[in-house]
Amino acid sequence: MPNAVAVKVLVVDDQNSVRQMTRMTLEEIGFKHIHEAENGVKAMETASLQPLDLIISDYNMPEMDGLGLLRAVRGHPVVRKVPFILLTGRGDRELVVKAAQAGVNNYLVKPFTAAILREKIEQVMGKLS
Amino acid sequence: MASLDQLKQTFFDECDEALQQIEAGLTEIREGQHSDETVNAVFRGVHSVKGGAGIFGFEALVGFAHVFETLLDGVRRGSLQAVPDTVDVLLSAADVLSDLVSMSRSGKAVPAGFGNEVRTSLQHIIDGNGAPAAPAAAHAADDNTPAPAEFDGLDFKPVAVNFDEIHGDGGPRSYDILFRPKPDMLKKANEPLYLIRELRKLGELALTAQMEGLPPLTAMEPDRPYIWWKGTLETTAARDKIDEVFEFVVGDCDLEIVDTGAAAPLPEIADAPPTAPTEATPQQFAQPAPAAAPVVAAAPAETATEGRAAVAKPSATTTRIELERIDRVVNMVGELVISQAMLGQIVQELPEGISDRLTQVLDEVIHHTRELKDSVMSMRAQPVGSVFQRMPRLVRELSSKTGKKVRLEMVGETTEVDRSIIERLGDPLTHIIRNSVDHGIEQPTDRLSAGKGEEGTIRLSAEHRGGRIVIEVSDDGAGINSDRVLKKAREKGLVSADAVLSEDEISNLIMLPGFSTAETVSDISGRGVGMDVVRSNIQDIGGRISLKSERGRGMTIQLALPLTLAVMDGMVIKCGQQTYVMPLSSIVECLRPQRSEISNLIGTRGMLKLRGEFVQVVYLGELLDITAGAEESSESVVIITDAGDGVRFGLVVDELLGHQQVVIKSIEESYGSVPGIAAATILGNGRVAFILDVEKLNDLAVAVPGGMGTVVNKSVTKVALN
Repeated sequence: MPNAVAVKVLVVDDQNSVRQMTRMTLEEIGFKHIHEAENGVKAMETASLQPLDLIISDYNMPEMDGLGLLRAVRGHPVVRKVPFILLTGRGDRELVVKAAQAGVNNYLVKPFTAAILREKIEQVMGKLS
Repeated sequence: MASLDQLKQTFFDECDEALQQIEAGLTEIREGQHSDETVNAVFRGVHSVKGGAGIFGFEALVGFAHVFETLLDGVRRGSLQAVPDTVDVLLSAADVLSDLVSMSRSGKAVPAGFGNEVRTSLQHIIDGNGAPAAPAAAHAADDNTPAPAEFDGLDFKPVAVNFDEIHGDGGPRSYDILFRPKPDMLKKANEPLYLIRELRKLGELALTAQMEGLPPLTAMEPDRPYIWWKGTLETTAARDKIDEVFEFVVGDCDLEIVDTGAAAPLPEIADAPPTAPTEATPQQFAQPAPAAAPVVAAAPAETATEGRAAVAKPSATTTRIELERIDRVVNMVGELVISQAMLGQIVQELPEGISDRLTQVLDEVIHHTRELKDSVMSMRAQPVGSVFQRMPRLVRELSSKTGKKVRLEMVGETTEVDRSIIERLGDPLTHIIRNSVDHGIEQPTDRLSAGKGEEGTIRLSAEHRGGRIVIEVSDDGAGINSDRVLKKAREKGLVSADAVLSEDEISNLIMLPGFSTAETVSDISGRGVGMDVVRSNIQDIGGRISLKSERGRGMTIQLALPLTLAVMDGMVIKCGQQTYVMPLSSIVECLRPQRSEISNLIGTRGMLKLRGEFVQVVYLGELLDITAGAEESSESVVIITDAGDGVRFGLVVDELLGHQQVVIKSIEESYGSVPGIAAATILGNGRVAFILDVEKLNDLAVAVPGGMGTVVNKSVTKVALN
């Protein structure tokens, strides 16, 4: 049973406002170790610098999009097993199918509440304490 | 910790950037110069607006952005063509989106049915082309649909992981390890052997002791480590576990642990198994309260949103500072400039032996102050792009209203200028561009018969030139109809019936107060606010406006603006008992002519023969009604000035006192607008001096040929000076 306080999360989104909002929601759930990256490339840099326990990434980003990041993560020797939750828009059904094939752990449709985010994380990592 | 309001603010700033990106991209697409990346960038822009709007609860924005995005997605996938009609709809959609953002920002309710027309057009294109229209239609119908927790009917099952196995892949991994204790590690009661034993518990360890540093026994110090180790560790443990072993000796040894890759092949990543969909529980999105938890990780450096060059984001590290703080520094620099001038004054009065070295140091201080001023000013600088960005939409709206075809070219959007100037540039520029479309560019048929292309071009450019920023609006329209302008000016009594004017002089008449040539007052321009207002707006910020027109070929309006409103280079001059400052930028040259070189013709101002040409001469003392010694003295100095519009005249003053940087202090708040005086400043001796407004001085001289003293309110002059 992972303790939210100890879990190291990486939030990836090119929009600062959305990133901050996700951070606030995560903090509401009880997460304390929250890293941020503004695109897939930066996210991989961050991932190579410190151990991560969870990646929550937007799909639509310049440089490297969420799907690209997911594939990069799954192909990387160190972080390949890190759970990956993809943020999608309302209309992105096809994307979820592709992400599932690429090994995504879960997806989350924006906008979301803290309760839904928690539920989605727990579906992947087990009950948070 | 950011509050929700601050986050919304950030979101709107991002929207501005996105809107600019959308606008730029669509313009490229319209001109047929786009690549796939352009379409992608536009799509991403709209998508960002939609995503953020969803999170912050601006449903009207989400609904519209969604349809917009669906159409763009079709273009991106190639199922829709970016034909001109489609691009026009996309451009109007960008306008509606921009309006919706403004409404959301100001907290106004979006009127029912706002943007429906454009939305219908978007939907029409989507429907007519077999693009993925169904979901769009569904959402378009109901903006308030909460986001679904899951997509209905999608076979997706979350993939659970065992938290303890996240790091590493379960298979053994190989690490190269180098471990070299520093000389005093043993003294701190750390035993390398224990560490190695701990390491061995993690997996297969192969370390070789490196003993080349081992001294002969006689020279060996027992509490000093000589041996170091190198080798590999194959383990299934996570990297942290290895780090943990060395946790207490990190500072006391050289340590390298390099992940050299997985020993085992990558396990298959299973496709999501089709299972029963988990139940969807749609929930209304609620704004979470701002959490008070401390921020652990530093947010990555933000890319500049102040500098809205947008499309190509600068990669430089930036930080946001409240404008107020920068303004405080600007003010302090101003005070510093004054103190420095005072110091200069004192140094001058000292005996020479003492002042020499002080002068040297002072020169350095002056140099540094100038640099400091420039640096601070550059912090306040903003690219003119933020004003330019509104213009494409304006041109589009105007051209559809007038039925003219107009293309807008923009050059130099990244040119930077002080934001106080940016803020006051919008209205004049809007007016000039309106004029260009309304009066300048001809109807397509007229253009064709004049042998021009159907589409008119307006070119908006900005560049730095000689310490000023020069903004030009030029069009290839009909130019100014000088006959009509002259006729009108005569009717209005602005020029006498027998005056002979050059083409340029006639063109410049349109900037006189109360002039408007539009034969019918159109919806667009000619509502009583004419070029005279533009001119005074530009003059208010210390700028100059000039105009060149070529009949049938088009016209160009040029604005030359100061880079800043706070500090400027000035020439300190003396006239009678008074000291004034003239902006250095308006001085062409200074000379001391013989009395005989100035000829006073009856009924005119004096004329100075300068290198074969005559220049009109004005006595500053007369204009300002002060007793000057200049008229009688042969020592008087003539300053040849450029009052803008290419008008030059000589200003006679008593003495030049020197060049210095002056801090501009507005007098308008206290005294209202005083003709001929732009502002005031504080000189080195602590006295107040007026900064002359050269253009207005020229107007004064024209208005009152004799330069009679009623022009300036005497009491104001006296009060301020004493």
